[in-house]
Amino acid sequence: MAFKGIKTKDRHIQNLAGIVDGSRSILYHKEDLIAYDCDGFTIHKHLPKAVVFPKNTEEVAEIVKYCAKHHLPFLARGAGTGLSGGAVPLNSEVVISLVRMKNLISIDLENRRAVVEPGFVNLKLTNSISDKGYYYAPDPSSQYCCTIGGNVAENAGGAHCLKYGVTTNHILGLEVVLPDGEVIELGHNGIPDAPGYDLLGLLTGSEGTLGIVTKITVRILKNPEAKKTVLAYFDRVADGSQAVSDIISAGIVPAALEMMDKTAIEGVEAAAFPVGHPKDIAAVLLIEVDGIAAGIDEQIAQILEVCKNRHVREVREAANEEERARWWANRKTGFGAMGAISPDYLVQDGVIPRSRLPEVLDRIEEISAESGLRIANIFHAGDGNLHPLVLFDARIPGQTEKAIDAGSACLQACADAGGTITGEHGVGIEKREEMRFVFKEEEITAQTNIRQVFNPDNLLNAGKLFPTPGRCGEVKKEMKEALLTQ
Amino acid sequence: MRQVEEKPSPACTSAKSLSNYLWSDHPDENKWADCTHCGMCLESCPTYEQTGQEQHSPRGRVHLIKSVAEGKLEVNTQFMDPVYACLDCRACTTACPANVDVGGLIEEARGQIRQAMPLTGWKGSVSKLFLKGLFPHPNRLNSLGNVLKFYQKSGMQKVVRKSKLINIMPDHLVEMESIMPKVDTSVRKKYKNENVIKSTQPTKNEVALLTGCVMDVMFSDINESTINVLTRNGSDVSIPKNQTCCGALHVHAGDRDTGRKLAKQNIEAFESSEKVIVNAAGCGCMLQEYGELFREVEPEWHDRAVAFSKKVEDVSKYLHDTGYKKPKAALNKRITYHDACHLAHGQGVRREPRNILLDIPGVDMVHMPNADRCCGSAGIYNITNPEMAGDVLESKMKNVPDDVDMISMGNPGCMLQMAIGVQKYGRNQKIVHTVQLLDWAYQKEDGEVADNGI
Amino acid sequence: MLVKEVVNELKALIPEDRMEERKEELHPLGNTGQICIYPVTEEEISAVLKYADDQGKKVLVEGGGTKRGFGGTAESADILLSMKRYTGVTEHEAGDMTLSVKAGTTFKEIQEFLSKYKQQVSLDPAWSDFATIGGIVAANESGPKRLGYGSSRDVVIGLRNVYPDGTIIRSGGKVVKNVAGYDMNKLFVGAMGTLGIISEVTVKLRPLPKYESLILLSFEEKHLDGLRKFSKELLDSSLEPVALELLNPSLSKKLIGESSYTLVIAFEDVENAVHYQEEAVKALLPSDIKMRVAAQKEAQKFWQLFYTISPNGAIGDTEKIAALKIGVINLTILDVIKESHYLQESFQLEVDAHGGVGHGLGQLILKGKSEDLTGAIYHIRDFVQKDGGYAVVKHLPLALRKKVNVWGDKPSYFFLLEGIKSKIDPNKTLNPKRFIGGL
Repeated sequence: MAFKGIKTKDRHIQNLAGIVDGSRSILYHKEDLIAYDCDGFTIHKHLPKAVVFPKNTEEVAEIVKYCAKHHLPFLARGAGTGLSGGAVPLNSEVVISLVRMKNLISIDLENRRAVVEPGFVNLKLTNSISDKGYYYAPDPSSQYCCTIGGNVAENAGGAHCLKYGVTTNHILGLEVVLPDGEVIELGHNGIPDAPGYDLLGLLTGSEGTLGIVTKITVRILKNPEAKKTVLAYFDRVADGSQAVSDIISAGIVPAALEMMDKTAIEGVEAAAFPVGHPKDIAAVLLIEVDGIAAGIDEQIAQILEVCKNRHVREVREAANEEERARWWANRKTGFGAMGAISPDYLVQDGVIPRSRLPEVLDRIEEISAESGLRIANIFHAGDGNLHPLVLFDARIPGQTEKAIDAGSACLQACADAGGTITGEHGVGIEKREEMRFVFKEEEITAQTNIRQVFNPDNLLNAGKLFPTPGRCGEVKKEMKEALLTQ
Repeated sequence: MRQVEEKPSPACTSAKSLSNYLWSDHPDENKWADCTHCGMCLESCPTYEQTGQEQHSPRGRVHLIKSVAEGKLEVNTQFMDPVYACLDCRACTTACPANVDVGGLIEEARGQIRQAMPLTGWKGSVSKLFLKGLFPHPNRLNSLGNVLKFYQKSGMQKVVRKSKLINIMPDHLVEMESIMPKVDTSVRKKYKNENVIKSTQPTKNEVALLTGCVMDVMFSDINESTINVLTRNGSDVSIPKNQTCCGALHVHAGDRDTGRKLAKQNIEAFESSEKVIVNAAGCGCMLQEYGELFREVEPEWHDRAVAFSKKVEDVSKYLHDTGYKKPKAALNKRITYHDACHLAHGQGVRREPRNILLDIPGVDMVHMPNADRCCGSAGIYNITNPEMAGDVLESKMKNVPDDVDMISMGNPGCMLQMAIGVQKYGRNQKIVHTVQLLDWAYQKEDGEVADNGI
Repeated sequence: MLVKEVVNELKALIPEDRMEERKEELHPLGNTGQICIYPVTEEEISAVLKYADDQGKKVLVEGGGTKRGFGGTAESADILLSMKRYTGVTEHEAGDMTLSVKAGTTFKEIQEFLSKYKQQVSLDPAWSDFATIGGIVAANESGPKRLGYGSSRDVVIGLRNVYPDGTIIRSGGKVVKNVAGYDMNKLFVGAMGTLGIISEVTVKLRPLPKYESLILLSFEEKHLDGLRKFSKELLDSSLEPVALELLNPSLSKKLIGESSYTLVIAFEDVENAVHYQEEAVKALLPSDIKMRVAAQKEAQKFWQLFYTISPNGAIGDTEKIAALKIGVINLTILDVIKESHYLQESFQLEVDAHGGVGHGLGQLILKGKSEDLTGAIYHIRDFVQKDGGYAVVKHLPLALRKKVNVWGDKPSYFFLLEGIKSKIDPNKTLNPKRFIGGL
């Protein structure tokens, strides 16, 4: 049966169009699909078979059932801001875009929770409740546009997760479409500790390989009574990093503790939201403390003291909310800002025990020298989450490969220091092989065994998260070859 | 009507390049090189908001435009759709952490599309009528103005409205007809014998006014207000005779050749002026970007164009920066302000008009959420893409506070579109230009307008 | 196979002096083993488990034994693997605020160790001198301060698990932020040891609070509506209590000698901020409510006592007691605590109840005759299920556990839980039938 307005004979497209009710909710022309050939990770691109735009859980379930029945690979996509390639249709998947499921279903301030559809944009939740004095804590830098569904898939973090935790600490319930189309509810009514294995926790951060989330119950928090933000400039990275440790050791739990190095500063200052950081500074720290007003001044005084002891060049408090917002805009657009000083960049996402920062930064500097590529560092210093940004120009033959290798070497350095390969961006395609830096073969198998329980035919978002067994070296090679033929 | 053009053949093709852009004046590689596909632009884009589809998002469009250059796509109808669905509102440029000039790329890509696929059919006729037949010709526009004036004054408007004639017009044109402003005498006509309109105060500056095409015909009272406000604050105003349409609509539509033609005429017309004042945001933005038109084609004009662009300033910014008298009479109105895209995103002018309004006694400013969201007018977008323009307008109107008397803004296109919105959604706000309010306050101060005048 | 033979075979894996045959009378709580083994290395845990898995033996795991009455319908398994002697801190870098510790270490030992660095594990389980970190994590035990600090699933950042086939599977890592692979920690937290034996736990730490105080507010029965209103106001303020726990009159009598509904508000912060919040509470308070402030030592004493109110499977009279964990939507816990009054009256039970207004989790401790216990359990389960909540029986004598479904009904997605169990423990070697639906 031909569906109205669908100009292809492909019966799967026809049938899927029937499920989502029409030509406005499905894309299948190459020119439209190309916008979906990658997400925020642009090194690996692949065209999907189609993109469908369901408007409710039933349609998602129907699409999934259809794909399962006809063995069509499929995956879910939100705003496509992921940085590890989790939404790239490697196997010509049917992409199920959830951005039209963007309703805020309910808000229950008394019980501090909200229910949203997966396409609801992160920051909009806070904007919807801020007038009542509440907010949603996880604040990835892409919060202006990333969806909460995507946040769940990636277990997104953010600048303020040092004190308030990452997405998984704020998810109370999920409605999930399993890879066979069955719909289940986890965390009934958003009540914690439901008897049984914690599937809620397992699903969060499973990068869309175990099911498709169609409804999310999140915890919302009351705004802290007061908030103070401090900016500190250091002439030596080691001093800045030592200041971080000193602040934490002093028993202060800052809401955020961010660091940028010289190259990163150059980027943000050349981009859309400059704040006038000195050009010759080695590191800038952005420190935010929140909580009960009566306790904050004491903490700020302590922080200033610590910075002075560590030879800070200049340290100051944000004069007002406007200045504070400017500092944060400068920091939060840090990745994209690299576009202003380099045509391409590759962002890495290692985590290290925070006390090992100076030595890891030294190693990254070596990697930069070895590869001949500049590396900027943006660092959630408080929780040890390091984002080396490898700057390169894909138009210069060989640079992309070099950048990939340099990025991988940075992760090796993090793993060697007792850390891990990703703190908030996820493994996706990008770090599949690097999983071996932190997990043994049987530990990876333990995880793929779990995937088998949910996703036995591996039709849902295949090829993500895990290295291909026994072919570790080859995949990397494959990736590079794919790049060269692009 | 002019004869149908034949499909032109490629002017320059490079055997080596993979690029499928076969004509000169290529989309600029350096513009997309800055895009890292981070997605920060998505939520700023009105067409992405409506469709949720990434080919209708800034980064999607950049990706498409780049893909043609890489030889992965061809310039065809499927490519044209997303590129032409862009409102060119520039909100993405504001949102972009790396300052990617998406708007510029879109215009360049449209230039390629228009050369590859000249418009045909209904859209082609409308486009040709407006862009080639009307806007570049002030006299014809004036005549149209006269026709409109006649249409309104003669009672024909009533006849058309009463008779069933209106029912056979396309919906969006009916909407436009119903909000058509009252047409007065254009200032170009009115001051055609004066070289300089002298300031009523000791002269501080001399400025030249771009009267604009739509502005001067449909909203001549705003031009009048602009002149009043400028002369009252120490500026002598001249209206250079040879000025013409700014070309924005042509460039938005991909007709860059006409754009260049108009640009050159304006550059020459304003050669002797030191400051060019514009009260239409879309025009101002275009004038400030003339350099882009001569990046590749006729590059000998490039530096002149850039020098010209530096002289161009929006009236609100000019007043704000050079100083103006705070009116003494109170207007006692609740006013909300809409940021015209080409003022806020295109020229970075946000604070100035708001400050002017706040300086008028009695004005109660009400915050409009997402004030810098496009209203859907976008030049003649509301004529060529009525459905999308309607959806965008609906979102816009949801943000207009209920309890205000007026919506102030700085662009005639927005004024028409917002007027449609007010009428369509049963609202009762008056649509005004920021300088009008200032002018009225001055007039009231002088006792020229009665309290019920506005 | 006779016990003797098993012992002989185990001798190859573990020295005899760390193995004992349990000849004692069967324990009223069940969950014992014919042979008890005390491994001191992870290799020993692995070897014993592999042996059992290969030989079709069943293994129960025990830490401090406080949760012996929690789940399970067997009197005895073939092997009881006690983690008691697998103890000690394996890694602690004060500046990193993380700690790795062997699973058999008691919570008290850990906190004492950390207090030297002015740090703590921000959990508040019962019976900290008995309870081991492994047991706390395996049962996802939490206390009132969960409101401020979260629970095991929030605090645990890494685990070492011994799978039934003897492989060591690490999950998570040693850093506080980690999304490499699935968040497998979550699977093991609260799995009641049915998916592997947790051998080492890595947690993130928090600084010890610089100052703490408790506000105790006593509400008469007739003021309970005011209590709800007050709780809402408090939750809607920007005060930051780490606990907001309501006690029923019976429990309140035991803890503070006041036989009335008592709202316990705990503040932990710098001293200024704590005092400021005390004042703020005072300002919010309805006029006729009695308020008491207990600071520092006095507050700590309250908590010490509080953590001993629930039955402890390792000691004391545990026979005629039931303890239930209740989960409801936050404010509904007020109704549950009130309902304890009804239980007391209609089932002739002694009922101690408490629950967190900010997180909706609570506990009921029932003392009385068997049939009254079961009747009350059914009643309260119905009561909470009406609002979509659950009631899990955390402690009950074995005989009653055989009658009462301690975990409640299976969820609709039970097949996934079964699937996970059968992937990891296909022979059902570990803690058989200890968990929901007989997992």
